[in-house]
Amino acid sequence: MNEEVITKTKDVALVEVLDRVLDKGAIVAGDIVISVADIDLVYIGLRVMLSSVETMEKLRGAPMPGGTEEST
Amino acid sequence: MGLSKISNGVNMQVEEKELIYLYCVTKVKPNYRNLEDLGIKIYPIYFQGTYAIVSKVSPDEFNEENLKKNFADINWVENKVRQHEKVIEAIMQDATVIPFKFGTVFQTEENAEKLLREQSAEFKRIIANLNGKQEWGLKIYCDFKKFKDMLHKEDTKIKEIEKEIASASKGKAYFLRKKKDEFIKDIINEEVSKYTQDCFEKLKRISVDVKINKILSKEVTEKKEDMVLNAAFLINTKRIKEFNNAVEYLKSRYSDNGLIFNCTGPWPTYNFCSFGEKKE
Repeated sequence: MNEEVITKTKDVALVEVLDRVLDKGAIVAGDIVISVADIDLVYIGLRVMLSSVETMEKLRGAPMPGGTEEST
Repeated sequence: MGLSKISNGVNMQVEEKELIYLYCVTKVKPNYRNLEDLGIKIYPIYFQGTYAIVSKVSPDEFNEENLKKNFADINWVENKVRQHEKVIEAIMQDATVIPFKFGTVFQTEENAEKLLREQSAEFKRIIANLNGKQEWGLKIYCDFKKFKDMLHKEDTKIKEIEKEIASASKGKAYFLRKKKDEFIKDIINEEVSKYTQDCFEKLKRISVDVKINKILSKEVTEKKEDMVLNAAFLINTKRIKEFNNAVEYLKSRYSDNGLIFNCTGPWPTYNFCSFGEKKE
């Protein structure tokens, strides 16, 4: 699953588009309304797609990785 | 709209009716040449000086139930979200637009037209407001490691603690390290918010309107640096150059501190077209 991270040939990162198209924009009471919960679902989906064990480890340590050993 | 009503109300048949997906509202009839490459048929619904730019979509994808399901499929979402953006960008080439949120879907053209009928004055007011302006986005990320390295070199208090650590017992050194980390964390937080505040204020002065959005996590941004500012700016077209120059200036000023700037635009004015949410 971690392998097939989104094929991104376009110049604008997906997150930039998602951040706007899903989250902002004029809102009217259309006939079919997407709830906030559904949008959260997308972000959760993204998380599952994008986070590998490695990045999760890094995240846990960030921004201050514990003990500052001889990190040269 | 060419689809006759099904009088016996069989659910299946009703479900099959195509839905109307709304991208944006403008006051200008769309230029079809800009829409040719999109691969979908975009057309306007007109009411008294306002156009709703729409396309027909399948209920297999966009009815409430299926939409929910499709949201779990990131590839589907990426595809549709990019398409939404592309359509609006194409329309934007010749017109001021009110971009709608992804997934604004109507059962019928009549319902979409009803929206225009009810909100026409409000739409015109918003469009007049947005005319001659562009939305730009700025995300600032911070390379905390770089920041930290810099502090190690420059901060005298840190140097002092380090000296202490060098000569301390194993147990004491552990606590001193913790203390040092806490100290560094505090400085960084303070400094970073000072810098981002400065960036934001400088750009705000050039803008007509601004919006601060929520910070996105690393899992979502796919960046190794942490996001420290996520802001949108509405700028008079005449001042775009000034805005970009200011961003360049801030970039060079703060890059040594580990700040990374990601400035994008022009975007449809997603952040600046909220209007009275009207429940029917």
